[in-house]
Amino acid sequence: MYLRPSTLREACEALVEAPAAILAGGTDFFPALADRPPPPRILDLSRIDGLDGLEIIDGVLRIGARVTWSRIARAPLPPCFDGLRAAAREVGSVQIQNVATLSGNLCNASPAADGVPPLLTLDASVELASSSGTRCLPLAAFLLGNRHTARRPDEILTAILVPVASPDATSCFLKLGARRYLVISIVMVAVLLEVAEGRVRSARIAIGACSAVATRMPELEAALIGASPAALGSLVRPHHLERLAPIADVRATADYRSEAALELVRRALRRCDGAAA
Amino acid sequence: MRFDTPATTNPIDQLKVIGQPTDRIDGPLKTTGLARYAYEQHDVVANQAYGYPVGATIAKGRITAMDLAAARRAPGVLTIVTAENAGKLVKGNFNTAKLLGGPEIEHYHQAIAVVVAETFEQARAAAALIAVDYAEEAGSFDLAAARDSAEKPEASDFGGPPDTSVGDFAGAFASAHARLDQTYTTPDQAHAMMEPHATLAAWEGDKLTLWTSNQMIAWGKADVARTLGIGKDKVRLISPFVGGGFGSKLFVRADALLAALGARASGRPVKVALPRPYTFNNTTHRPATIQRIRIGASAEGRITAIGHEGWSGDLPGGAPETAVNQTRLIYAGENRMTATRLAVLHLPEGNAMRAPGEAPGMMALELAMDEMAETLGLDPIAFRTLNETEVDPENPKRPFSQRQLVECYRIGAERFGWDRRRPHPRQVREGRWLVGMGMAAGFRNNLLATSGARVRLGEDGMVTVETDMTDIGTGTYTIVAQTAAEMMGVPLESVIVRLGDSSFPVSAGSGGQWGANNSTAGVYAACVKLREAVAQRLGFNSSDTVFAEGEVRSGNRSVPLAQAAASGALTGEDSIEYGDLAKTHQQSTFAAHFVEVGVDAFTAEVRVRRMLAVCAAGRILNPKSARSQVIGAMTMGVGAALMEELAVDKRRGFFVNHDLAGYEVPVHADIPHQEVVFLDEADPMSSPMKAKGVGELGICGVGAAVANAIYNASGTRVRHYPITLDKLIGGLPENV
Ligand SMILES: Cc1cc2nc3c(=O)[nH]c(=O)nc-3n(C[C@H](O)[C@H](O)[C@H](O)COP(=O)(O)OP(=O)(O)OC[C@H]3O[C@@H](n4cnc5c(N)ncnc54)[C@H](O)[C@@H]3O)c2cc1C
Repeated sequence: MYLRPSTLREACEALVEAPAAILAGGTDFFPALADRPPPPRILDLSRIDGLDGLEIIDGVLRIGARVTWSRIARAPLPPCFDGLRAAAREVGSVQIQNVATLSGNLCNASPAADGVPPLLTLDASVELASSSGTRCLPLAAFLLGNRHTARRPDEILTAILVPVASPDATSCFLKLGARRYLVISIVMVAVLLEVAEGRVRSARIAIGACSAVATRMPELEAALIGASPAALGSLVRPHHLERLAPIADVRATADYRSEAALELVRRALRRCDGAAA
Repeated sequence: MRFDTPATTNPIDQLKVIGQPTDRIDGPLKTTGLARYAYEQHDVVANQAYGYPVGATIAKGRITAMDLAAARRAPGVLTIVTAENAGKLVKGNFNTAKLLGGPEIEHYHQAIAVVVAETFEQARAAAALIAVDYAEEAGSFDLAAARDSAEKPEASDFGGPPDTSVGDFAGAFASAHARLDQTYTTPDQAHAMMEPHATLAAWEGDKLTLWTSNQMIAWGKADVARTLGIGKDKVRLISPFVGGGFGSKLFVRADALLAALGARASGRPVKVALPRPYTFNNTTHRPATIQRIRIGASAEGRITAIGHEGWSGDLPGGAPETAVNQTRLIYAGENRMTATRLAVLHLPEGNAMRAPGEAPGMMALELAMDEMAETLGLDPIAFRTLNETEVDPENPKRPFSQRQLVECYRIGAERFGWDRRRPHPRQVREGRWLVGMGMAAGFRNNLLATSGARVRLGEDGMVTVETDMTDIGTGTYTIVAQTAAEMMGVPLESVIVRLGDSSFPVSAGSGGQWGANNSTAGVYAACVKLREAVAQRLGFNSSDTVFAEGEVRSGNRSVPLAQAAASGALTGEDSIEYGDLAKTHQQSTFAAHFVEVGVDAFTAEVRVRRMLAVCAAGRILNPKSARSQVIGAMTMGVGAALMEELAVDKRRGFFVNHDLAGYEVPVHADIPHQEVVFLDEADPMSSPMKAKGVGELGICGVGAAVANAIYNASGTRVRHYPITLDKLIGGLPENV
């Protein structure tokens, strides 16, 4: 059964009747089927009004569930979103960016989801709606593991909520893959840096594709506070990244991922420092 | 037409149409979507049904039970064919494993059933309901582990003898001033062409028509007839457009057989396309190799001993990936040996992929040559030039028909700025990038094969060429039209080309870079016949008749060409057949590949910055489509060097990364600048066209040029392809 409700309420009711597979841009949904037939009940979000908003209200950017990567890449957003917008330009190809949604990227919960590290550094939360109401979860609490989220089967992710960081925060996103474009990340790093009076006031750093879920690096973040921005790269030490648990696969060995993550973090910090200067 | 003495001056030499960088005549059809590929033949027969394949999920063993009941009851299902109800099937001459397996399973994803239904979705849904029980058997899936059990394969036309030996290799190597003894490996690789294997099959009584995607129509027709046990005259193959093959469509594959069987069982025309994962494990691939190379040289750098041994694996009854053949021909040296060994592996079938044998062989040999040059303290070009040969080194009485390899090096070095290369590695740094240059020789033989065509001059003055030759995206339509236009003295727009139909004269087909030269030579032969018929009808003396500007001229008479057909169309049909010029002379094509790379000093990311190929390959029939062939091949060579590898699950025996997300090939952004230069050549030994192939020359050697550039940049020598980031990072300066 292929459901295309036009309101969120109908959509939530449909999920109460019976579980259904939710379809947004379909760029994870369809490839994941491989050569199996599609699931018996599909809930298509494309007709639902009110899920395509992208606006800042009261210091919070609300990214509706149907907002595509292309829209993020083109949106006039403050510098703290530069990292997210850089990620938007590196997800798949332009064709993918035109149909694929950020929300789909989060719900799919791949360890290599490019949207997760920048949103983790932005302290984003997700809004989940069901016929019994709406709840918000911090992104880190929503993502539970490889392809595993805290979403209940009757819930729809309706928006991503991102508090806008201070206007002088700078951010960046770096992705490393085996080729230059249209590539699944071997490692990716997002950094958000606030500098005041020549000293780091806060640093938020997240690394993806090196553990089942992308993670923040609190030890490293703490170590950078108060440091001079120009010195940041040299302060990063291997033990700061001990939270990572990279795997070896066809793309790279675990050791490679650890080394490359270290370098990418240093590079991202230098890049943010450059942007701040 | 027999071609057994070198070509003299002929109408092709005018080069009014041939040799011009003409746009593809089929381009507009492709860019507007009007070119019909096999799966898009929606209206050639009515009432088409859809077949969906079922593949084995074990690598080796037997089916113990197969429950079709639920699938049979599923909506829309018309029939299900398995080995049990398919009737007697004989394995095709070109197949190693059966195209329809069961109860015995020979490899993972071997087809074991096809479900035919009214719609694609119904067929796919029903296929998922088939339950299969297996008795799984242990298999051999690891080439390195099987290496010691490898045996001497039989000699073959394509692969050559398993052992060759000239002089005293062992003695000369032992006493050489400088020695290299290294082992190199190349992984299993996939063709990864854009269009998957697909076929529409329709029976009319006992006659079978297949609209399919196939490079070699006559081979395919014969193998379909053999497999089904019907006469060849009962089978017709139609393959006007092929969305890439790279060798994977040289042979009949499961899509064709399953469609034919499904159509026979359902009484309906049936379409089958292999789902993308099946194109990796159900079809063929380029087998992995282990190669040991030994080179001995004198102090001044002359090779005194050269040895190349290659190991690969295949299913029982299969053939080796012959990686050693170029080493028999490319460099001088009095003492030589090669050996090819074949192990049994129960992975999917290994077979030809673009420059089979040569591509992986050159990846190893040209890397070894770079290492040896360094050992000797010689520039890689100087070392190669010193060991240049004008004759077949195994048989000095046999010269090359032409060999301008040194000229390729010279022109390439100049254009590329080779003199700026630092002989020692890791000398150039630009920011975080370590920059280096590498080069390699490209070398691929020119193969001759009989090829026929039929050319008709219509009453309207249009010239129509028909041949079962295929255009696999290479530009065949265009060069065939150019040949006929040149021969008949008409503009390109007056030529219609019809390809890929087994009701047309048998051609050489597309493979082994033999298509262009042979198929156009066949068209040449047919045009010679047609010219005679035209002259005869006009009462001209055929020996001095000139065909130009739409006219036929003889002495002071001149008549529009169309007039010759005014009283009825005229046809010329012939084929080119070769004498022993290829035996008396070695015919090969040559290239010098140059590559510049940047290697990230911290993460080891490799970025190709510039590539140049200088090619000597006889007459270039169409510089535009030839260039496209070479840059495509160079790109594939970058893939082989940097990322392409089928990952083997050594417990279960299959290729894990069986889609284009897992099997990464280069993208445009990886290849910023490619240049191709063709030497102005014509080889009178090759055919009346004086042309040779280029489609595989472009991939031979280029992978090693990338590897050598990486070494020059980073100082790390990787001998195991692909050169992924993790193999480089340990040796980087920042990590020492
Ligand atoms: C060629 C290609 C390249 C790609 N490259 C990248 C890349 O570089 N980086 C990267 O991170 N990803 C990449 N992807 C994966 C994919 O494009 C992204 O993850 C994308 O953001 C998914 O969004 P979508 O709208 O297409 O999601 P869909 O495929 O529609 O859905 C994904 C999953 O989320 C669920 N879902 C979607 N929306 C909701 C919702 N609102 N509420 C609840 N559940 C929901 C679906 O049920 C499904 O399980 C690539 C995919 C392809 C095909």
